[in-house]
Amino acid sequence: MCLECGCSQSVPFGVKVLSVIAPRLLQPRPSAPAAPATVAPPATAPQSLEVHTSLLAKNDAAAERNRSFFRQHGQLALNLVSSPGAGKTTLLARTVDEFGRTERCAVIVGDLETDNDARRLHRPHVPVAQITTGTACHLDAEMVARGMAALDLAAARVVFIENVGNLVCPASFDLGEAVRVVLLSATEGEDKPLKYPPIFKSAHVVLLTKIDVAGVLGFDCAAAADNIRRVAPQARLLQVSARSGEGMEEWYQFLRSHLPPAVAVAAPTR
Amino acid sequence: MESALALVQRQVADHHAQRVGRVVLRVGALAGVEVESLRFAFDVVSRGTPAEGATLEIESVPALVFCPTCQREFPGTDGFIFACPGCGDFCSEIRQGRELELSRIELL
Repeated sequence: MCLECGCSQSVPFGVKVLSVIAPRLLQPRPSAPAAPATVAPPATAPQSLEVHTSLLAKNDAAAERNRSFFRQHGQLALNLVSSPGAGKTTLLARTVDEFGRTERCAVIVGDLETDNDARRLHRPHVPVAQITTGTACHLDAEMVARGMAALDLAAARVVFIENVGNLVCPASFDLGEAVRVVLLSATEGEDKPLKYPPIFKSAHVVLLTKIDVAGVLGFDCAAAADNIRRVAPQARLLQVSARSGEGMEEWYQFLRSHLPPAVAVAAPTR
Repeated sequence: MESALALVQRQVADHHAQRVGRVVLRVGALAGVEVESLRFAFDVVSRGTPAEGATLEIESVPALVFCPTCQREFPGTDGFIFACPGCGDFCSEIRQGRELELSRIELL
């Protein structure tokens, strides 16, 4: 069960690969084994045990494994988070078309159902894995690991992880990314950073998207930027439109500046 | 909450206990977790397990934020907006308040 919203995480999720490079398909995760039914004599007195274990320890450990994979392979991994419809897929489609010409990109995309996004992002030069989460409202590190295993990531320099559209739960789940990207579109309210602060708090970069229509919609970019600065002073702020192309060069520049040094010899596959 | 229950059940099995009397969680003010939701989830997921009926105790951990300009920590009391009381700068370095852990359990 997700920590915030009470969705069930125990459903098996699927991974579908849309890629000429990686034809493998993965089996869904088997359901968790039941706790062992140990029959033993009852303890004589109440026993107090100090445990001190993070409830997210399992996810955090998986995230660290993902992170060291990316590090060993000299890859920049980004976790893209936003409300549904803020423009994650459109941003990525243009990014892999333009930036992806010079730097090899791969995409792992999560949705509850359908492989529509993977189809939209599918290019001959871009390995794409679609993760369907069933009812889970966010990606976790284990799902991403399966997506990674399904793709031939060895040649990739940048791995984009497009999270499930949700501004709440993804905040708690580290996927092993180096950079967390939070998108806020001009079709939303300027005060969204104030309403959903944890996710903005965790952002390395915030992209104000669809700024080509901001004027028509009466969206106040300066007010939105001010709200972002209050909640997330650590985050870099970029204003982009994946439709008009405005600001996209700054976004690519940001990506280039965060690329780790290329690794000469690829490490053995996990 | 399922992960908390999994941790509890492992302890129950390891110590050959029959039931759980008390579960203590440490929850930071910035953990992004609603205490009432936690209680509700605990009731639901513990049903039919040795933890059913156990007392759920929540220890709250207040937020503590560091201001790099003033080189000091201050309590983060205004939700997620941390303006330093010294210089007024908005700060982002959270020193305490993200905790979300199973702290202690009592086995019967």
